[in-house]
Amino acid sequence: MPEEESGSLIHVAIKAEKLFNIGPFEVTNSMIGALLASLLLLAAAWYITRRAETVPGRLQVLIELPIEYIAGVTAGSTSRWRGYVALVIGLFLMILVSNWLGLLPGVGTIGLQGEHQGELVAFVRPAAADLNFTLALSIVTFVVFVWWAIRVNGPIGYLKELVGEPRYMAPLMLPIHLISELSRLVSLSMRLFGNIFAGEVLLATMLALTTAVIFVLPLAFFVPAVFLGLELLIGIVQALVFALLAMTYITIAIAEHHGGGHGTDETEHHASTPA
Amino acid sequence: MDSNLAAGLAMIGAIGPGIGLGIGFSKAMEALGRNPEAAGAIFVPYILGLALTEAIGIYCLVVSLILIFAGG
Repeated sequence: MPEEESGSLIHVAIKAEKLFNIGPFEVTNSMIGALLASLLLLAAAWYITRRAETVPGRLQVLIELPIEYIAGVTAGSTSRWRGYVALVIGLFLMILVSNWLGLLPGVGTIGLQGEHQGELVAFVRPAAADLNFTLALSIVTFVVFVWWAIRVNGPIGYLKELVGEPRYMAPLMLPIHLISELSRLVSLSMRLFGNIFAGEVLLATMLALTTAVIFVLPLAFFVPAVFLGLELLIGIVQALVFALLAMTYITIAIAEHHGGGHGTDETEHHASTPA
Repeated sequence: MDSNLAAGLAMIGAIGPGIGLGIGFSKAMEALGRNPEAAGAIFVPYILGLALTEAIGIYCLVVSLILIFAGG
């Protein structure tokens, strides 16, 4: 029903559209976006490690600065930070590059006519505007922090933690603990998806609104540009948030066991329990 | 029509996170004013708190976006 009304102003599909098939495997436009982002990262890594110097040039500083910052924050979390620092940096860089890739002109606007109503099916869609991508990253994070909890506490210790302290409260506390573990999965993926998809909708709406008055007010060119700047900021903040939350969840999984006995004082102030 | 109305109503839930973000930001600025050297130490917990508060608003946004673009 709402296709006619909302379709006239803007068209944003909530799920990624299929471009072509490879066997039984559907290739969507957000997969192209994710692939482009990872190719860009791989090319940058290959190019920069090839000509790395002790006195870094501009390009080397550009890629070393965020890595050093995230590594510095992660190193302050627990004593076992070397085990997961690569995951945190990887999450940050991947999300950052795929978010900013989505703001380039041509992404989401160049495409083919779809089968249904002649709507545009873009070749490239920002990867994080698809719930599949963000859910995949969250599942990786979830598996890693449960793995760390089991590795540090042992399977029995992890089960004991899920059951809770007064053992007779187990029928009540076990479902609550399970849901709170799983809600991290949902909140991580929904936060990133919601922010990036809402950004796409916002930009499309602003463009649609201002192109109507573009011959009256030349100023209308600048209104979407302001929101592009906002989206740049949101892109880096959300990448940082995802990486830092992944780090915090792993820190909690490791730190719960120590209970202050193991002398890692830095873990204490990170070990609040976000949902 | 109905789903658009429902989408608008769903965004009422964004009031709470809005107030919460305001409180969090004002407290962070207060702490920064008292102790400007602590900017680096405040930044990471501040960003995390901001993200966790904002997530509730994002849930409302996702619900209303689904109602607009995918709802019947």
